[in-house]
Amino acid sequence: MRNLIVDNVRPFVNGKFEKQTRMCLVDGVWSKDAPEGTETVDAKGALALPALFGLGLDFKEPLRDDIYTFKDGVEAMRRGGFYGGLYESCANAIDDSLKLAAIQQISAKFGLSIAFLGAYSNGYQCKDLSEMVELANSGVAGFGDGNQDCSRTRFLRLAMEYGSMTGKRFFFMPLDDSLRHHGLVHEGSYADTLGMKGIPRVAETIAVFRILEMARFLKVPVHFKQVSCGETLRLIENARSQGVDVTCDVDIYHLLFDDSCLFDLNSFYNVPMPFRSATDREALWQGLESGTVNAISVNHDPVLRQDKEVNFEDAVPGAVSLEVALPAIWKPLSERLGAARAVELLSTAPAQLAGVAASELAMGKPANVVFLNEDKPLDVGTSLFAGQVCNTPFLGKQLPSSIFGTYIGGMWKEV
Amino acid sequence: MSALEIKHLFGLRGVSKNDIRLILDNAKQFREILERPVKKVPSLRGMTVVNLFFENSTRTRTSFELAEKRLSADTVNFTSSNSSVKKGETLVDTLRNIEAMKIDIVVVRHKGTGVPKFLADNSNAIIVNAGDGAHEHPTQALLDMLTIEEKLGTLEGKNVTIVGDIRHSRVARSNLWGMTTMGAHVTLCGPSTLVPRNTDLMDKITLESDVKKAVQNADAVIALRLQKERMDDALLPSMREYRNTFGITHDVLEYAKDNVLIMHPGPINRGVELDSEIADGDNSVILNQVTNGVAVRMAVLYLLAGGRANA
Repeated sequence: MRNLIVDNVRPFVNGKFEKQTRMCLVDGVWSKDAPEGTETVDAKGALALPALFGLGLDFKEPLRDDIYTFKDGVEAMRRGGFYGGLYESCANAIDDSLKLAAIQQISAKFGLSIAFLGAYSNGYQCKDLSEMVELANSGVAGFGDGNQDCSRTRFLRLAMEYGSMTGKRFFFMPLDDSLRHHGLVHEGSYADTLGMKGIPRVAETIAVFRILEMARFLKVPVHFKQVSCGETLRLIENARSQGVDVTCDVDIYHLLFDDSCLFDLNSFYNVPMPFRSATDREALWQGLESGTVNAISVNHDPVLRQDKEVNFEDAVPGAVSLEVALPAIWKPLSERLGAARAVELLSTAPAQLAGVAASELAMGKPANVVFLNEDKPLDVGTSLFAGQVCNTPFLGKQLPSSIFGTYIGGMWKEV
Repeated sequence: MSALEIKHLFGLRGVSKNDIRLILDNAKQFREILERPVKKVPSLRGMTVVNLFFENSTRTRTSFELAEKRLSADTVNFTSSNSSVKKGETLVDTLRNIEAMKIDIVVVRHKGTGVPKFLADNSNAIIVNAGDGAHEHPTQALLDMLTIEEKLGTLEGKNVTIVGDIRHSRVARSNLWGMTTMGAHVTLCGPSTLVPRNTDLMDKITLESDVKKAVQNADAVIALRLQKERMDDALLPSMREYRNTFGITHDVLEYAKDNVLIMHPGPINRGVELDSEIADGDNSVILNQVTNGVAVRMAVLYLLAGGRANA
């Protein structure tokens, strides 16, 4: 635990920023006073936000620890101001309680609030059910698909039916594999101009509709990860109006990029859910405004340099985001939706989806804080990133805000 | 000699009318040289060109190689079947190793869209696209344009109809960008599963599903090769139905102008996209295209290299 006085800071308390003040952080708690001799840092008017919660973490350990490790991921979380996250291991499905215990043990060493999604099928193969009851009893936050389509609808039905005993939510990245075919990008004007194989919107909406119908039939709560198009939001609104318990998130990059970026032919824009049209991007923003979208996700997906330093179509899809998420999204998000909704979408709402206690700032309470200079631009270079990866479309670009430091779990990290 | 605005040739989308004009005018001069008894000029003497072909190619690679030799360049052929790529070397490592051997120009063909740009971003060599995925095949389009200009004098105001698998065709894309820049109107015609669905970024084009209507006002008709894989992928029911619906046959040409030019990028599926009597008929300029291919590639290499010597 580190004690620290942060001077000239504007903490976000009860839905708004307070006047510039001093925060005494003692043994991980926002205290009225600090012991004599406590180090003071001058935040120079920075915002003090409740630390964030990241939906969509995958640190690749244990099977692909040649790419990235849990330690790297935790370092990225601390640099980016995340006190917790929802972890889904796509390379190594958490499909039994032993695997869950092993990864929980690794996670516990770092002291952050990380919840885990179990796999509803063994190895995400959609052939055999995982031991969902044991996984639930051992503490999974819900059940996921490992971002792989389950084309066997009967298996999906049985998995959701069996899993309904646990009361846990099912998390899906909705993309019909057969309609996706070999597509990598949004099927639209830019793909047709470039001659690239596209993924039509119906690949998403058909998958969503199928799952919503199953959720309605079985009365199972479902969540859609990384929703990318406006039509999906309409399907979700419709299902909600009929009583289906459905939540969804949008990925941070999908709020900031659309398929016009394809003209750069930069492999960093190759991500699992394609960037769709400008109209879709605007629909996602409207979904945040209307409340149709519950949370913003980060989908931190490390990819080795040599797997990105190839042409677009041969690149491994994925982007890291923890270190750059807040500097990139804070200004556009808070300017359009207000600071309170921005904090809700980045922190409290995703934590709620994962069943983790929210991070809130209040005098006398444990404090996980991220200090943000909202008007100080950040040049994104490779040194910003933990581990050996830097696969973000922001690399080499400038972001509107920068993180000054984070105080999470009593640890101070100057960025 | 004027200089090109472009430093590499990735494609024709966004290439200026002046640059295309310059390439075509130079190609016409090289075309004359190719008719001489001694067909060689010293323009690229001392320069090394690598033909980096990751996809099979006979005519394009041969055409480039001839163009390079006619310009007196040293040439090296590098194909994926005999390359270190098969041993797992990355594209960028392959390029850097080749570049370390002090090459000047890389002519590249690859299945991936944007590979030429990727190579240019990672090297100092001049990059020429010899076909990248379904994206662009700019020298094919330039030779098509040269052929039309040679026969009709200009592209301005001409109607060019491209028939076939537009969606998967880099030739069609390069042609539509280049020809519309030069003032032609392009009509795209093909089965609904093989034409682009989203054409709002494609100015001055018309989509037509009836081949007889598509050829009516055409000054030139380009038939594209139909890949057999399209049937496997359920994009078409059969070659037979394709031929009967979209093949350029004598019956279809009844609806076209008498002097319409018949073109094809080769190799032809005779009796599928083009009937033999049409491919070998009076209106066919297919072999002129082949000859012009060498001239156009000479012009592109010469101009991109900076025109260090007079042709």
